[in-house]
Amino acid sequence: MNANALIAVMVILPIASALFLNLLHKKDRTIKILAIITAIVIPIIPLLTPYGSHFFGGYVPLAQNATLAQGLPSLITGTQLFQFHPGIMYVFTSAQQLMVFVLGLITFFAIFTFLNETKRPSGVYAFLMFMGTASVSAILLSDDIFNIFVFFEIAALAQVGIIVASGIKNNYETALKYTLLGNIAGPLLLLGIVILLGVTGNVNVTDMVFTFKQGYVDPNSPVILMSMALIAFGWLYASGLPPFHTIKSAVYSKALPHGAALLQAFSVFTLVAIGIIILRLFSYNPFTNIAIIGISVIAMILGITMAIVQTDYKRILGYLAVGELGYIGIGLGLGTAFGITAGLFQAVNEAIITSFLFIGFGTVLYKTRTSNTRKLGGMMYVNPKVALLVLLAGLAMAGVPPLNAFQSKLMLIQAAIQSGLPELGIIMILLSIVTFMTFMKAFYTIYMRPKPKELEILDNKIPRSTVISMVALLIICVILGLFPQIATNSLQTLAAGLV
Amino acid sequence: MSFYDIILKRIRKIQEKAEEEEPITNVTVSAMLTAELTLIASVLVAVVMVRLIHPVLMIIMIAAVLIIALMVMPIMPRLRREQNDDLNNMMFYVVVALGIIVALFYWGNLNV
Amino acid sequence: MVVDSQLMSFFTAGSLVVIGIFAALFLDNLIKKIIGLAFLADGVNLFIITMGYKPGGIVYIFLPDMVVSNFAQTASYPLPFALVLTNIVIGASTLAVILGLVIILNKRHGSLSASKILRDKGE
Repeated sequence: MNANALIAVMVILPIASALFLNLLHKKDRTIKILAIITAIVIPIIPLLTPYGSHFFGGYVPLAQNATLAQGLPSLITGTQLFQFHPGIMYVFTSAQQLMVFVLGLITFFAIFTFLNETKRPSGVYAFLMFMGTASVSAILLSDDIFNIFVFFEIAALAQVGIIVASGIKNNYETALKYTLLGNIAGPLLLLGIVILLGVTGNVNVTDMVFTFKQGYVDPNSPVILMSMALIAFGWLYASGLPPFHTIKSAVYSKALPHGAALLQAFSVFTLVAIGIIILRLFSYNPFTNIAIIGISVIAMILGITMAIVQTDYKRILGYLAVGELGYIGIGLGLGTAFGITAGLFQAVNEAIITSFLFIGFGTVLYKTRTSNTRKLGGMMYVNPKVALLVLLAGLAMAGVPPLNAFQSKLMLIQAAIQSGLPELGIIMILLSIVTFMTFMKAFYTIYMRPKPKELEILDNKIPRSTVISMVALLIICVILGLFPQIATNSLQTLAAGLV
Repeated sequence: MSFYDIILKRIRKIQEKAEEEEPITNVTVSAMLTAELTLIASVLVAVVMVRLIHPVLMIIMIAAVLIIALMVMPIMPRLRREQNDDLNNMMFYVVVALGIIVALFYWGNLNV
Repeated sequence: MVVDSQLMSFFTAGSLVVIGIFAALFLDNLIKKIIGLAFLADGVNLFIITMGYKPGGIVYIFLPDMVVSNFAQTASYPLPFALVLTNIVIGASTLAVILGLVIILNKRHGSLSASKILRDKGE
């Protein structure tokens, strides 16, 4: 077995563990132990795996396989058929390493808080969380666009499961809406993919890019434009950009806090992964970048303005999470190496900070069983330490130094100015301020104003694991804020390859 | 009558039409007001980017956006009502967005 | 008049997609909406199958007595068929999840109308 098989293990291990957990119904102790071991191992694997690519089933391109290539007619060896990738290929570079690691870390914290906040941990819920993690890792790693589609659907089903399992009022309705919309977006994304297959004869992204670059296909033919639009549409659904921002924020608000933390990480990384594929395939067309920037600006404006007028703090966070996605999109849409690095860095930061916020505000739900800001107040006296941590998470989201989003937002603004679009920088600063204001409004109503008489605060203690998770996430935020090179150095290579 | 009162009155009128039973508190109104100003300000700044196509077009568009914004103010309560959780509403906007995206990709490739 | 079967299949696939989107948008009954979505998925499946069709093509299994160059020229392209199989499985599982959700909601609300069950609850 070669070392690159570990690349496949990143996806296979969570799936195997998930399937096994599903079988262990009602065996609480075994579920706890198995889930926590898997959750610890998941972030470690990407750190141990060497960079490279993995060919499933050993189907390397014919050019790399001397025994198979022997005695083939010139019909094959003389053409590009010889170079093409016949099987599913996973690519693992430093950027994938960082993103799969961060996703694994968030999964770990989500599982960790889940196991300690729930008295009888359900194996099925852990199954859904691991299944989602596995599919989003696969989306990040895969170089095969149909494989991405398959995992896109699995991730959507896992997300639906996480909402249904939450037991929050009206969660079934939201789950059904999400699946119904997904059933419009999914087939249309597939249609876009198969149009590309029909035109290039391949589903491997590297090969498709090669076909475009060599001029075997006219990249400006209307058929390819159609597939471009359809893939972009599927991307909007997967990441929750408008017009899917309402359903996505509803989805976050109908999941339990640890579930929501994981769900937003799924959206962020799917946005990045499919966004990179779109850039790799279609960046020859200047309109791609304009479209990405346009959608991102709309997402930012709609997400953040809608967040201000909400009264449910989970919904506020949901809309803020959607608004923050716009920053990532702008980074990708700028199309310069610096801009894409900034966008990817912002993605990593946002995944961490939003999980931090969801887990942090989750303690309020844990203590009061309500998420309506009108009924809340005075939580500061209940637990000042947690309140301080939540405040720090909010500062991180707004981009206050020395926390991580400050570095990435600064990079994004610099990138926007370098690309000759200072207006984007102004919008980003303006909306950062409003984000902070929205957060402070929620923070004030929940923590600082006097406690309403009707509010009942339950006697259950906030589990220590939740506080540990929050402190750990804060430490990551500070480390990335002080030493952004750790992340940007890993992301640069990928970004430079996209330009 | 101050600006605040005008906004309050308009919000109340729109909410009556929508038959919402939500109470109108100080926080609601100031939140609406902030959202409104953020929306208009960021749309105006975004429209400045039209200068890359043509400067004169930018001036016309900014003037148009300003006039429209002032005429239909407050926009936010309506926008909020439009972005609700009704499936039919969502489905409608999703299909409209699909149409716009496909049309834009064709048009954009011919003209950009 | 000779009708090109591939062209007609593409046309059918296109109409299935359009009918599916129409049903999902304008029909109120949830089951009808879901049937519409199944139409949409089937339209895409038909599109893929049609794309893999090759007039006069042979099955893509390489038998020992075949000549490589001859096989390469006449065999139809296997990838679309593999994709369709995968997509049918995905479609079936998603459909199962949706129908399960509809059963639960129907029990709760006693109705199948999308505008009643899935309206804005104002939270």
